[in-house]
Amino acid sequence: MDEKVPRSKIIETEIPMGTVHPAALEPYRVRLFVEDEIVQEAEITIGVNHRGIERIMEGLPVEKANALTEKICGICSNAHIWNSCRTAEIGWDIEIPERAVYIRVIMGELERLHSHFLYLAHGCEVLAHETFSMRIFYMREIVMELLAMIGGNRVQYGCSVLGGVRPRCDLDDKRIQRIKDDLDKLEEELTNFAERFTADSILLSRVTGIGVIPQKQALKLAVTGPTLRATGVARDLRTTMFEYDNFDFNVITQPDGDVKSNLLMRALESFESIKIIRQAIANIPEGKVVNKAWDMFDTDIVESYIEVPRGTLYHSYALESGRVRHSVIRTPSMSNIGAMQYACIGDQITDAQLCIVQCDPCFTCSDRAIEIIRR
Amino acid sequence: MSIIYSILTVIITVLICFIISTLLPGIERKYVHARIQQRIGPPVTTPGIMAPLKFMFKENVEVSSPVPSLYKVLPIICFIVVTCILVALTPQAYKIPALASLVAIVGFLKVEEICYVLMGALSKSVMSVKMPFPDLVKGAEHINATRSFIEDISARRSLRMITYGSFPLYLSLFAPVTAARSIFLSDIVTYQQTHGPFLFTVAGGLAAIVFFIGYMIILNEYPFSIIKAKSDVIEGPYMEYASKYRAIVYITRGFFMFVLGAIFSVLFIGIPPNIFSWGILLNIGVALIFVFMMGIFSAFTPVFTNRQLLPTILSSTLLGILAVILGLL
Amino acid sequence: MGIKSFSRARAIHVMLVYTGGCNGCDIEIVNSILSPRFDAEQYKVFLTWNPREADVLVVTGPVTHLNRKPLEKIYDAIPNPKLVVAAGSCALMGGVYKNCFADIPSEEIEGPVENIIPVDAKVPGCAVRPQDVLAGVVSLLPTLLDAD
Repeated sequence: MDEKVPRSKIIETEIPMGTVHPAALEPYRVRLFVEDEIVQEAEITIGVNHRGIERIMEGLPVEKANALTEKICGICSNAHIWNSCRTAEIGWDIEIPERAVYIRVIMGELERLHSHFLYLAHGCEVLAHETFSMRIFYMREIVMELLAMIGGNRVQYGCSVLGGVRPRCDLDDKRIQRIKDDLDKLEEELTNFAERFTADSILLSRVTGIGVIPQKQALKLAVTGPTLRATGVARDLRTTMFEYDNFDFNVITQPDGDVKSNLLMRALESFESIKIIRQAIANIPEGKVVNKAWDMFDTDIVESYIEVPRGTLYHSYALESGRVRHSVIRTPSMSNIGAMQYACIGDQITDAQLCIVQCDPCFTCSDRAIEIIRR
Repeated sequence: MSIIYSILTVIITVLICFIISTLLPGIERKYVHARIQQRIGPPVTTPGIMAPLKFMFKENVEVSSPVPSLYKVLPIICFIVVTCILVALTPQAYKIPALASLVAIVGFLKVEEICYVLMGALSKSVMSVKMPFPDLVKGAEHINATRSFIEDISARRSLRMITYGSFPLYLSLFAPVTAARSIFLSDIVTYQQTHGPFLFTVAGGLAAIVFFIGYMIILNEYPFSIIKAKSDVIEGPYMEYASKYRAIVYITRGFFMFVLGAIFSVLFIGIPPNIFSWGILLNIGVALIFVFMMGIFSAFTPVFTNRQLLPTILSSTLLGILAVILGLL
Repeated sequence: MGIKSFSRARAIHVMLVYTGGCNGCDIEIVNSILSPRFDAEQYKVFLTWNPREADVLVVTGPVTHLNRKPLEKIYDAIPNPKLVVAAGSCALMGGVYKNCFADIPSEEIEGPVENIIPVDAKVPGCAVRPQDVLAGVVSLLPTLLDAD
């Protein structure tokens, strides 16, 4: 597909939506500039969620700051605390026990499952397909229960701590057995659903060719994560992370970059996640889950990138007598906002929210940004 | 004496039909949607009876609309129009010349549709432009754009629906006319009582399918709910209704479902709603079957945009034309 | 029990307003209403997005600066009797975002919700559990039934 060019001439009608809107799970404002029900230009205004987390983190003890990063986002909370701990671990050269790495991977993949299911369910809800939305929410409950079993809470699990994972999150045989059983159930239901979904011609006709982001444009807009992979670029940070060294999984790509590709992308990636969790619980090594033998010293700015359900997450801070300095967090949705605005162009108003949802927005994550305008 | 008797019959028929119709939204929600979605769902009485009752007791707020009085009157007009359709369908009313022909019913349905346009144009809800949010500093490329309420889109869409969206329904209404060779309801009914229901002819079968599509379009049910699609216009024309007026909106919907079912049973089966004959059971049955079918359809389809709507309406219109031609042959 | 309270007990329309928390509560609440597992509709609780239709306003999040006015507007748009459920620790006391600087609260946060609109029920939790939200809404029933 050719590049879509936003129309620069003056457009007559503007439709603002938000900050509270049924198709959005979080507050943001979108202004659609339309002509005859076709969106010509979209503009997303964030900043509604600005709570100043990085400012709050400034000067906090690193353990406290880690716990705080979890409150950045209610969807990828584990990813934030994981990456924040990882940053400090890189800075202080902390050795993490093998078993803790495995548990972190299990949590990360379970979280990816729950995020992808939420994506699918929310996508179906925006499509006004209540039945499918409910079925996916029902499948998602299986994952939520597993997360609650390991972490003790349905949303903020607080699994990672400096040097490993919380002892509460250790996996005994009973828990491993339960994960095994539930994954079997989940895989069966997901297979059924995927078959049902791909056989539904009405639904497919509704999502094919909507909100296309061409590959060239996606790379130009620095899109990350599954949204980028849905345009055909096999770029997954998990292939370079040492945590995933022992695991065998495929990087899924889809060709088109439209809503259909994105939906299928998430469904297929969920299967890979199930595969990774299965490998992890089969090979989980014995040993302690937390390494408490480490020293604190002042460091320069430390950086850490990991792959989270929505793309690449970046945390960086310097450590000064055990406290956090110059904290910077860059979340995947930040770089995907350009793609969201772009995807809306040329589609119906009814599809505009769908096009935004297809890029998996998480504005609560992103609301710390400073826009740098080069002149 | 017989006039008083007829009027009484009509009133009782309308009342009974109205009472039954209040259950229809609940039946759709509980026994169709909830069942398909594998959950328990609300009690049958809640969506159709308890929710309107509850709204009756809410505070009557000042609606934000340029013409509040007209906006508030519209749902009442809708309700009266629907009642008039039902009155026109009863056999006692066939003697009233103004209501005796199919043209009256088509006219009433058109009034109903025009009400949606006015509702959409007059509603100015808090959920879009009025939401206080300082975003005007941005969007510098389009500084002179008019800021449009989401209900305005919905009004524009209902206007489109009037122009082409309701073709299938009206075509299928005129299909029985081709068989009976008369636009008077009494003739259509007597024709079917002697020649058997129009539904069981080829033309009738096709027209029934077209009628069903038209039925969903005029009721704004998913997948044809573009004028109140949740993904952009939230509730569209109904956004600003509160308290009693919202209750009337709720009641009208259930009643309209029943009345459309009654139109079908008059035109396609030849049994008018009359409280003193067993035929009314068939009316109720038809209304229920339509509600079930609509529920199943809407549970398995996403909302259609203009892109899918046009071909759907076009093909069902063609099917309707085919039915009319077959009927004429 | 009069017909007023009888009907009110059998149809409760809930509207959710998110005011800038971490999104966890919002999802749990939408999940509790939409998922067949919790299925709020069986308790006659319906989710609506139209303030004119709502009876109960569920507010999550610590109310950030930009969200204050929309929240007030939406609250004003709801016809009486209306009740407010503040769900999650952010909505109850500003959460980690407000109280991080000990005595000097964060300027970004206008909350807790109580500072802006009257709150009738408080549902604690970070994030709230779906069951708790349902319990919170149901616990408001007596107040709702006796209202004019």
